Amino acid sequence: MSIELTRNFSIIAHIDHGKTTLSDRLLDFTQTVAKRDQQAQLLDSMDLERERGITIKSHPVCMEYPAKDGVTYQLNLLDTPGHVDFAYEVSRSLAACEGALLLIDAAQGVEAQTVANIHLANEQNLRVIPVINKIDLPSADVPAVLKQLEDILQIPAEEAIQASAKEGIGIEEILEAVVARVPPPSTAEFENDSLRASVFDSIFDTYRGVVSYVRMMSGTINPRDGIRMMSTGKTYEIKECGVFTPKQTKRDQLNPGDVGYIIANVKSSSDVKIGDTITGTIRPAARPLPGFKEIQPMVFSGIYPVSTDDLEQLKLGMGKLQINDAAFTFQAESSAALGFGFRCGFLGLLHMEIVQERLRREFNMDVISTYPGVIYKITKTDGEDVEVDNPSFLPEPQEIETIQEPMVRAYIMTPNDYIGDMMKLVAEKRGELENTETLDGTRVLLTCLLPLNEILVDFNDKLKSMTRGYGSMDYEHAEYRPANLVKLDMMISGEPVDAFSVIVHRDKAEFRGRHLAKKLKEVIPQQLFTVAIQAMIGGKIIARESITALRKNVTAKCYGGDISRKRKLLEKQKEGKKRMKSIGKVNIPQDAFIKVLKND
Amino acid sequence: MSPVFHCYIHIPFCHHICPYCAFYKHKPGKLANDAFIAAILSQLDAEKSVLAEKLDTLYLGGGTPSLLSSVHLETLFRGLRPFISPETEVTLEANPATFDLKKARIMREIGINRISLGVQSFQTGILKTLGRDHSGEDAKIAFEILREAGFMNISIDLMFSIPGQTESLWQEDLDIVTSELKPEHVSSYNLTYEEDTEFLKRHESGELDENEDRDANLFYQAIDHLEAAGFGHYEISNYGQSGFESRHNRAYWTGKDYLGLGPGAVSTIHGIRAKTLPDTARFVESPTLKTEHETLTEEDRRIEAIAMQLRTREGLRINRVCSTNEPCSIETVLRSNPIESMTQQGLIEIRDERIFLTREGKALADPIASALI
Repeated sequence: MSIELTRNFSIIAHIDHGKTTLSDRLLDFTQTVAKRDQQAQLLDSMDLERERGITIKSHPVCMEYPAKDGVTYQLNLLDTPGHVDFAYEVSRSLAACEGALLLIDAAQGVEAQTVANIHLANEQNLRVIPVINKIDLPSADVPAVLKQLEDILQIPAEEAIQASAKEGIGIEEILEAVVARVPPPSTAEFENDSLRASVFDSIFDTYRGVVSYVRMMSGTINPRDGIRMMSTGKTYEIKECGVFTPKQTKRDQLNPGDVGYIIANVKSSSDVKIGDTITGTIRPAARPLPGFKEIQPMVFSGIYPVSTDDLEQLKLGMGKLQINDAAFTFQAESSAALGFGFRCGFLGLLHMEIVQERLRREFNMDVISTYPGVIYKITKTDGEDVEVDNPSFLPEPQEIETIQEPMVRAYIMTPNDYIGDMMKLVAEKRGELENTETLDGTRVLLTCLLPLNEILVDFNDKLKSMTRGYGSMDYEHAEYRPANLVKLDMMISGEPVDAFSVIVHRDKAEFRGRHLAKKLKEVIPQQLFTVAIQAMIGGKIIARESITALRKNVTAKCYGGDISRKRKLLEKQKEGKKRMKSIGKVNIPQDAFIKVLKND
Repeated sequence: MSPVFHCYIHIPFCHHICPYCAFYKHKPGKLANDAFIAAILSQLDAEKSVLAEKLDTLYLGGGTPSLLSSVHLETLFRGLRPFISPETEVTLEANPATFDLKKARIMREIGINRISLGVQSFQTGILKTLGRDHSGEDAKIAFEILREAGFMNISIDLMFSIPGQTESLWQEDLDIVTSELKPEHVSSYNLTYEEDTEFLKRHESGELDENEDRDANLFYQAIDHLEAAGFGHYEISNYGQSGFESRHNRAYWTGKDYLGLGPGAVSTIHGIRAKTLPDTARFVESPTLKTEHETLTEEDRRIEAIAMQLRTREGLRINRVCSTNEPCSIETVLRSNPIESMTQQGLIEIRDERIFLTREGKALADPIASALI
């Protein structure tokens, strides 16, 4: 099909604004195979995606649409991950498109994620088609949403299409708009027809190896062609290429403008880097396509098996996850409190939750995670720069000149009534308000700079509960900034317990230390001696608790009939001791640590 | 095979069930006591081949052995007579208000020479909490009757750590024992919330509370008071005037073999431990049926030694701390973490290659034993 008749577009939307329903409806309307059939073929992350209403992997699909002008167009829809954790993948998917449908719920209006999405689409110079969805809802307020479009997003109201994906209203109009408004792929910018294909996602197929999703920019791909990954220089031979109908359907050739897949002899997803440029081994392109970045984990956490017997199994499971998820990193580490486990890197919190959940579900692993942390950039007094993702490796305070922490730019949308509470929350989290924008008389959009570390755990939950569910938030990564950060260590009987060490702002260290000390006091059983629990910063104790020694614990009677019972009790205690962790001379059941980590 | 010198007979009858008691017991019911005594004697007859010619100790526990009528006691002791010598320590557990002078004299005449009197407390309120059906006055009278009947070796059972018990109430009990009654032996038990008792349920529901600090103090109070009155604290819960320590209980603690007769009684003979069926009706039908058979390994013996000998005045031989499978030197043991740190904390003392609990250690015998195995 001619490149002039190809349209590549994606759908961007806030969670629950109807992205999946609209995709299904477009497939129905163009009589493309029902999406249900596709799902069976997709990877196992699907359950999790459906359950949480999020898209983790791209699901491209190629539709044929006979438009009203009598011509049949090829429409490639790139369903993208919606969450900020996957912002880079989203940006690569969007880079593979020329246009985007911006979906807005007619009852909910513009949300924080809508704003973030528009930023991403604008960065890629996409033609944005606003679609107001769910207009059939009794609570739909189309005029208000139209006004928000103009006021918040600077999009002319008359461009908006009113639709209800559920009721099938406006579907044809959307398809016609894609044909009319989204420009066809252009090859004009390329000086020759050397192969250039951008990788925007990949999946791992047990039988066929890595399947790379590509957008063809220039040149062609045919089976048996030699290709080169421009970031690694590694070469492969194309075994198969094709398009998504939405099943992977073999084609003899991929042409400029096409969105499709290739299978080469690639063994692991980590060899296929998202955003990389594929070129030919013959007549290679001089320069890769712009925008490629190595994906770097942003959030780190230790993951440990609850039962030490599961260590190998856990490693195996992580390896399998990584084959399909190159952004997830892990390496062995050990902790005095938790034994052997892994230091894991994630793109963000959602990504972390997904990995943990998949370990639990797909590999049946009972795991415990330490507090999530971020990468700190440290300049030492001797001038050396180091990056630290694990509090244990933070240099001693006297060796530190400055510590910088990663910031995010957060878009928080809140009803007017809760502005005060929200500003308080932002201040509590060491945030800095950059901009306040009144949206429509009932809501405001707060733009603020927040330390990533501060929003890792409970920020979103607090925001939701504070605004009774009406607030929403999205964020993008911003710069690093110096901050007064310290390492807080917890000590039990004078021995540091690594699992509880955190890097925290100086102003919050005491509160956190007191809180943790109390928690530990609750879960550590009384011992034969007094146990001191201390929170310490750089050798200075900032909080302490003590567990008083047992004073009396003795069986009253020990006669003929009691002896076996007594012995069995002791044997059981001896067995139990094997599952205890010794911190100095203190024996602590491992589940005590787990209780603190899980409930905090 | 070395003969067995110690015999225990379990008499499971109680007029009234105390809500803290976990021993096998029940009300006498319709069961004919004749048949019960006959069953005990028939079990004795079946198992007597293991016994020594004369027993060193014989102990009738319960339940409430003193509920047996004089006639039944006489029948029972007719059967036991051949195994009893003048040197045999023959103990009977007795409750106040279950015997009169006449019966006490018969008890003395048939060969019983030691009485363990279940007093528990002399305080009306405490006795009520414990659900005992005798008064403090009954207990004093019972003691006087026993003396009059000629018992010169009487032990009194006392309990502490009872909800509502203050240091001064406990002191009154201790005073009555040492100044008024002056028995040869005292067993002082802290109330323990045992499995399958009404007390445990009430404890878990929060109705009966435990206060570790108070209990520790009551424990030390008993040690101080009884030692001052000339009693030797020869085991965690037992105090005796010199020469009046219970030989029967010592046999358990030093790992001697013993034959158990009666429903629920445990025997340990030649490395095998077993229990007679804890069901009086079935026991009467087949007195030799056993349950819970165990063959004791060296390691079992070692752990039991730690559990029991640590509680005694004689202490625990230090090499018992080494696992049977991995023998170790005494030097290694002394340097090992639990021993060293518990010594430093003053919970244990090492003398003559034995481990002894200190005063503070005695109150913590269970976790210390646990640290040593």
